[in-house]
Order: sequence, then structure tokens, then C-alpha cells
Amino acid sequence: MAKVLEGPGMGLLSKWGMTVPHYVVITAADQLDRLSQANPWLRESKLVVKAHEAIGSRMKLGLVKVGLDLDAARKASSEMLGKNLNGMTISQVIISEMIQHKEEFYLAVKSVREGAELLLASVGGIEVEANWEKVKRIAIPLGTDPTREQLASLAKEAGFKGDLAGKVADFALKLYQCYDQEDGTYIEINPLVTREDGDLVALDAVTMVDGDARFRHPDWNFTFASEFGRPYTNDERAIMEIDSRIKGSVKFIEIPGGDTALLPAGGGASVYYSDAVLALGGKIANYAEYSGDPPDWAVEALTEKVCSLKGIKRIIVGGAIANFTNVKKTFAGIINGFRKAKAEGKLEGVEIWVRRGGPFEKEGLAAMKALEAEGFNIHVYDRYTPLTDIIDYAIKGVGK
Amino acid sequence: MSIVANKETRVVIQGGPAGVNAARRMAEFCHLTRQPLHVLAFVFPPDAGKTAEVPFGSELVSIPIFKTMAEATAAFPALNTTLIFVGPDRAFKAAMEALADPKIKLVSMITEGVPEKDSKRLSLEAKKLGKVFNGPSAIGIISAGECRLGVIGGAFDNLILSKLHRPGSFGVITKSGGLSNEIIWICSQFADGITTAIGIGGDAYPGSDYVTYLEMFEKDPQTKAVIIVGEMGGDLEERAAEWFGEKKRRIKLIAVVSGYCQEQLPKGMKFGHAGAKEGQHGEGSARSKADALKKSGAIVPATFGGLGPTIKQVYEEIVARGEVRPTVDGDVTALPKLPKPVEEAIKSGDVFVEPLIKSTISDDRGDEPLYYGYPASDLINKGYQIPHVMGLLWDKRLITPVEAEIVKRIIMLSADHGPCVSGALTTIIAACAGIQMAQSVAAGLIMIGPRFGGAVTDAGKWFKYAVEKKLSPEDFLEHMKKNVGPVPGIGHRVKSVKNPDKRVKELVSFVKSTGVPTPHLDFALSVEKITTAKKDTLILNVDGTIAAVLVDLGWPVESLNGFFILARTIGLIGHWVDQTRNGSRLIRMFNYVVNYASPKRREAPPLETNTKKIEVRQEVLK
Repeated sequence: MAKVLEGPGMGLLSKWGMTVPHYVVITAADQLDRLSQANPWLRESKLVVKAHEAIGSRMKLGLVKVGLDLDAARKASSEMLGKNLNGMTISQVIISEMIQHKEEFYLAVKSVREGAELLLASVGGIEVEANWEKVKRIAIPLGTDPTREQLASLAKEAGFKGDLAGKVADFALKLYQCYDQEDGTYIEINPLVTREDGDLVALDAVTMVDGDARFRHPDWNFTFASEFGRPYTNDERAIMEIDSRIKGSVKFIEIPGGDTALLPAGGGASVYYSDAVLALGGKIANYAEYSGDPPDWAVEALTEKVCSLKGIKRIIVGGAIANFTNVKKTFAGIINGFRKAKAEGKLEGVEIWVRRGGPFEKEGLAAMKALEAEGFNIHVYDRYTPLTDIIDYAIKGVGK
Repeated sequence: MSIVANKETRVVIQGGPAGVNAARRMAEFCHLTRQPLHVLAFVFPPDAGKTAEVPFGSELVSIPIFKTMAEATAAFPALNTTLIFVGPDRAFKAAMEALADPKIKLVSMITEGVPEKDSKRLSLEAKKLGKVFNGPSAIGIISAGECRLGVIGGAFDNLILSKLHRPGSFGVITKSGGLSNEIIWICSQFADGITTAIGIGGDAYPGSDYVTYLEMFEKDPQTKAVIIVGEMGGDLEERAAEWFGEKKRRIKLIAVVSGYCQEQLPKGMKFGHAGAKEGQHGEGSARSKADALKKSGAIVPATFGGLGPTIKQVYEEIVARGEVRPTVDGDVTALPKLPKPVEEAIKSGDVFVEPLIKSTISDDRGDEPLYYGYPASDLINKGYQIPHVMGLLWDKRLITPVEAEIVKRIIMLSADHGPCVSGALTTIIAACAGIQMAQSVAAGLIMIGPRFGGAVTDAGKWFKYAVEKKLSPEDFLEHMKKNVGPVPGIGHRVKSVKNPDKRVKELVSFVKSTGVPTPHLDFALSVEKITTAKKDTLILNVDGTIAAVLVDLGWPVESLNGFFILARTIGLIGHWVDQTRNGSRLIRMFNYVVNYASPKRREAPPLETNTKKIEVRQEVLK
């Protein structure tokens, strides 16, 4: 799953023959001057200006302005660009043509185990959530395409009549082709509207594609957006960059306000560690994982980011019994990271809790334990301590 | 008993280095369980026709690499399973090739980052053919005592600690590779261990799900309970719950589900595996999954930490019911051990290896070379120079700054003596013939001998002999005339008393100015006095001077030609580069510089008349 921002998402819909409003994405307000020369619609239509970032509730945050003329759009863009929201900067805005319409519809296709599911409703916008029972759906088994007849009858079932039912079926077929050919995982058009000339237009869309399929889509010239309602931070991007060029993986997401930093190994154990911290009333400051025997320098970089989290009281270096990740080597990376952080005065009053097993566990754990002598407040446990018990020790202060 | 993988499993691995690594791990397991190697072949087109070497016990087995699956199964009809390690962009094609082969019944894919669509299509294809497609992103499958597919089970010590050399009573199905080992370990600590453990992979739509394997475990009488380790996202746990609750099952089901943290974290945050994503409209949360499992009759401990005690309780119940007899593990030290690599065995003092060669000057086993004990970087940072390195490596001593300066001057004076001397000329000829640098320079260096530069060692040797024996210059010359021949280091082809050699003058005066004692140099100069009186070209030449000075400085005699070789290498490299850069043409000697002294043209006699060898030979001699 990888979220595609509105601009490139609209680009994909348009590539497969679906009508979308005219739009431009800009990074500076004065780009509009040149663009308005080449795009008459910027001068002739009413415009919508939106922050082009993965931020939830843009409307509430005042990051969507509607019904503007070019001058007002320039002013709104210049106000939004560079605006800082909790440490994240708005660096792009999308300006699109405002489409006059009366009715709103809902159309989506999502990946399911057996293939895909296509959802259609004759209500759209915020109405659809409240009227979920009006959403009609058909299953599209893997390796088959829906027929126009199937889609037309789905449209009728959803309450579309006459000509419009046919148009909706055509549009739905294009959406399915787009989903299928672009390795989509979820594409939702809400609302789908009828323009004054009778054409169906996708006014807004959530587009998710399979990031793993990037290798067969050389025309995907966009970066993926984060999926949790805010853009990635610089530290998150730095780790993503490292992750993209190493064997194995390192991952890092910040959660401001937490007291417990996590540096666990592996995608499975990391979630159990997060669960355990929260179950005991702790607050996690981040999500992290390293797995697949990543190089020690990558683990070191991840450790430095974890140690830099603000306001943490403890760091959990947890992990199951690795299959092939070299504990000694990856721990050497963590130890280097700890030493650097300590030298920079970052680990004042921070307790470190370690539990791990796997290839070279004895050597790795001994090296960790040796940090005690360097003045680290560190507690080291081996495989005989159950996986998440160090969380009990760390948070409840029992069993130390 | 076991499911999916057993003693009859015979494996082909599709992939390169990662696949070979897995084969090594699998060989360790076969060694532990005293079985023949389960891996018979690799399919990896770039290396087709070669073999990959896999240590098996104390042997190294060569496993053939094929271009296609068909070639592999034709060569090894016993193959029934494949493990896929190829990259995500080629994984689909590789798996389809494997599924298409009638001999292959199980396809297990380790590759991570395979597109969902590919994974779903492979799953469908496998179902159509009645085969099992496990993965992608799956760590592998291990059946205790029977078969290991992939690296699941971890290091060799862990296999024994987790009792994987013999079957227990618990089945394990996980999405996470790391946790699979953890659960196997827990089963061995709190119960009698596992039958089979399967990693199904953390992707959203794995080829085989919990139900696929629950069905198989249900039919395996040795498996008494199955542990599934789930996580939020998707609906595989709900499907497992549905299957379990459907009717009365023989096996017990124990389950944990992770992802409760999602209730308190930013919505839409993605965790760990690709499959661990929140479903639309609230489906797929950890809580709803755990609830579904509980409702179906599965035992769901409140936390991951509760898993051990739960497993223990279930085990005690089945023992109490007499379904399982408690295992009495024999002496684990009697199990086959993994032979240690020689280096490790030496380190632990288990073996002694008589070394083949001895080195007393340098050691490169640390993070940098030591020159007679001194780290190279330390020497650099403290301002030592090349002559000091020569001192350490040629004479095992840290020479003084004055000595170093003398050595430096010797090297500089000897670096090159123009293109006409035999060494340089040979290098130039080689360069012109298109020969590479190392060979051309080596060709020049092998010219060094009694008539070109090679007199340094001999001169040093005889001057040292004379000084040690306290011979007078006259007695020395007498001794040389009688026993040795011309004095090495004396005489020059072009230099003479009237046309002195500036290099010699420079060197002698510098050495004298430093105040180092110079008995050998003084002796050589006194010899020169006598010889030049006889003939003015019999001067002390540069070789002789260098030799006398170096012996004065205490350098071992056998190292002395080394100064010439080292210095002249600088010049020879220069000549090679010079000729190559100039694009010099191939050298052919001009006829007029050769004295063609062979017989004039004549007719070859008929073969049968050519019997009078002696006659012919006499004619030549005339």
C-alpha cells in the first residue's frame, strides 16, 4: 500500500480516460503567473486551492479554499506555502478548476483476497458515510474483468437511471482498468459528479497503489505520501532513504509526546512491544524496526534517531530470537549510536532495556552489558527472559 | 509426524547467494538429524552450469546450478519442493515456472516486496493445480527432526536449544519470521516442542493462510495443539476462528494477536508487515480478531507474555489425558555437532595447526598492517618516511633520521639512469611490444645482475670481508685477483678519474658530513686509489659506493641489491608509462646494428644425402 497524493492520483485517473478537473501543482505562488498564460482555465474558472500534502482534515485546518479567482488563488497559495503545522511545512499546493454540479456519487474499487470489489452509490461526499447501506458492490474475481452489462446492472441497482446508468458503468469500467493496470490497492472517487455538459468528473479521489510494484511502472514519477495524516518528518525521510538502499530493512516513525522509545527488531515483535508498552500505561515515542540482517551503520543511524526523540525516559531494545540477523553486528551499530548520543548529552536520565536472541547472541549481549562500565543505565536480558517482560521491568519497575 | 515438509522433502532453490546461504542452514539441520542433504539443486540462470559449494558436516558438497526448473527436475527426479529467493521483480515468473513443473508440489517464497497482485495470482494458480504456495515474505517451514526449508530455526545452537532435532506436540503458524523462532523456543521451554512451524509471511494476501495449515495439522495425529501468532489487518485470523468454530476439532488452538497499540496511535499508521494495516470501516483490528478467536473456542492469552504459561497448561492437560508421554530428552551432547571452522577451533584451543610459512616482519590480521609491530598509520602520523619502512621491513629496526636521509639519497640517485641501460631498455622494448606494466617492469628488473646494478650486494660482501679480516687494500686486491676476479664496485664503462661520477662524489661527501663512522667507505676509497693508479677507469663506481655506505650503516648484505631494485623500479615504471603514453611503435632492431655472422645463402641438400654430420660441422667451423 502506498498513498498517492491528489495531483499524481488525478494523473493516473486521467491516464485511463476518466475526466478529472484541470489542475496544477505549485511550490511557489508566482509560478501561477506563467501557468495562467498556458492554462486559460486558470483565468476563466472559479478555482479551488488545497494544500497538496498528506494532511488529514485539511478543510478544518483552513487548508482548502474554494470559489477563488486567479488573484485570490495566488494570495491563498502564498499564505499556505511555507506554513508550519507541528513541525511539518506545507511545500506544495494544488489548484484545480471548480466544477459546478448538482448531485454527488461514490465509486470505489478495493483489493480483496479473491480479487477486487467495486463499490458504487448514488450518494456521495459526506452523505455516503451516513448512508453506507446504499453502497452497492460486486466482486470481481482475480483474473477476470467486469463486463459492461454487470456494471450497468450494478448502476441500476444503486439507483442510477437511464443514460446516467450507462455513463456510470463506463466510468466504473475505466476505474477498474486503472486499478488493475496500475497495481492499485484502493481507489475511491468521492464525489463523482455530473458536469453541466453531462460528463462524469472525478472531483476528488483517494488513490492507493502497491508500492512494491514500482519496478513495473517506470512512469510513476511521484513519491508516495505517508498514510497517517501528516507528511513525513526529516528524520523519518532520512531513515526511509537508508532503508531504500540497504539489504534488510530499517524503519522509523515518530510519535510526539511519548516517554518510551522503541528500538525493537523485526516487524512482528515490534508491534508486540508497542502493545506491551501501551498495555502497561506507557506512551510510545516512536515505532521502529530493523530486520533482515541490515548493515550495522544503518542500525547505528536508526539508533541515533531513536536517541534524539524528545522527552523519552527509556529505550527498549527488544527482539525475538533472530533467524539470521547477526545480533553481535547489529548490536555493534546500536552501541555506536548510543555512544554518539551519550557524547552529545542525549541520554541523560534515560534507561535502556535490552532483550534479544539469535546468531552471535552471547557476544552481542555481552557487548551491550559492557556499556554499564561506560556509565550507561542499561539492563540486559537474554532469551530466558520472555520477549516483552522487559517492558514490565521498565515501566512497572518489577523484577529488575 | 509433520506437515508440509518431512524426511522425503527434496528441494531445489531458485536464487543466488541468499539461496546458497539457506542451503547451508538446511545442511546444518540435515547434519544434526543425521539425514542426507535435502537440497539437491539450484536454479539460477546467471550461474547455470556451475556448482555452489555447501558445507555438510565436515565435507563440502557441490550442488549443481541449472538454468531452468525443467532441467533441474529432469536431473533430479526426486525434487518435490522449491524455495524462492529471487528478487521481487522476477519472483512471479520464477514461481510460475516452479508451479508449472509437475514434480514440484510445494513452492515456498522467501522474497519480500512482491506485489500483491502477483501473490494473489500465484495463490490462485497453486490452488488450481492442487499445490501449496507458501509466502511471499515467509521465513520458511521447519518440521522438528525431519526437514528445514529456509533459515527458519536460526543458528545451529538455537536448533538444539529449541529441541528441533526431535518432534514435539505443537504446531506453529506465524506471519512474522522473528516471532516464529520465539514461539518455537517457548514451545520447547514450556512444553515438549513442535511438530512443524510455518511462517506464512506478513503480506496482506499470503499464498496459504492459517486455515490451509490448520486443516493439515488437524489431520496430523502427532500435533495436539496449534499456536497462531496474528496481527491486525486483513481477515486471516477471523477465517481461522471461523474454521476452528465450525465444528469440533481434534486440535487445541492457542492464539495471540498484536496491534492493540493501534487503538491509541495515529489513524492509518502502518506497522511492520504489509498485511498489518487497518481494514476499512474498523474490520481487522487486533481486538476484533482476538474476540473472534475466543468466541470460536481458541485460547487467547491477554498478552504475548501469557503465551508460555498457556502452552504449559495445555501441554500438562494433554499429558494428563495420556495423549502424550512426557519427553525424556537424552544427552544433547551426544547429538552431532557442527564442525568448527579451523580458525574458531584454533581460537578455542581445540586444535594446533603447524604453520606453513613464517613471517617475522609484518602482520595484517588487525585493522591495519603492522610493520615490525608498528601500526602503519602511527608511522605516517609521526612523520616517518619510506626509508624507515624499509628499515623495519628489510632490517627489522627503526633507523635514525640521519640514516633515513642517506637511504633516501641513495634511492633518489639510483631511481633512473636513462633509457640505454639494460633494465630500462628491456622495459622499453616490452612496452613497445604492448606488454602490460607489471610484466614489462619485471622484465627490466630481471636484467639486474653482475653487469647491471647487481654488483651492490657483491661489493658490500667483499668490502665487509676485507674490513672484518683487517686486510690492507693491497692484500685485498691480491685476494680478489687470486680467488674471485674483478672487484665488484670498481670500474665504470664511461666514467673515469678524468670524468668523475658526480653521484659518487655527492654521496661520499654527504655521508662524510653526517659524522657516521665509515670504515667500509674509507676502505673502498683506499682500494680505488690503487686501482685508478693502474687504470683511470677503475674508479669506485656508484654500486660500490652505495654498497660500502650501506654496510657502514649496518644493513644486511643480502638486502643490498634490494636498494637498486626498489630505486630502479621507480625509473622502469616511468619508462613504461612514457612509452605507453607516447604510443610508441613496436621496436625492430635495424639490420645495420647487427653483425650477420651466419653462413651466406646456400641450397639445402636433399634430405637423404644429409648423413655426413661431421663434414657439415667442419665446414661451419672453417
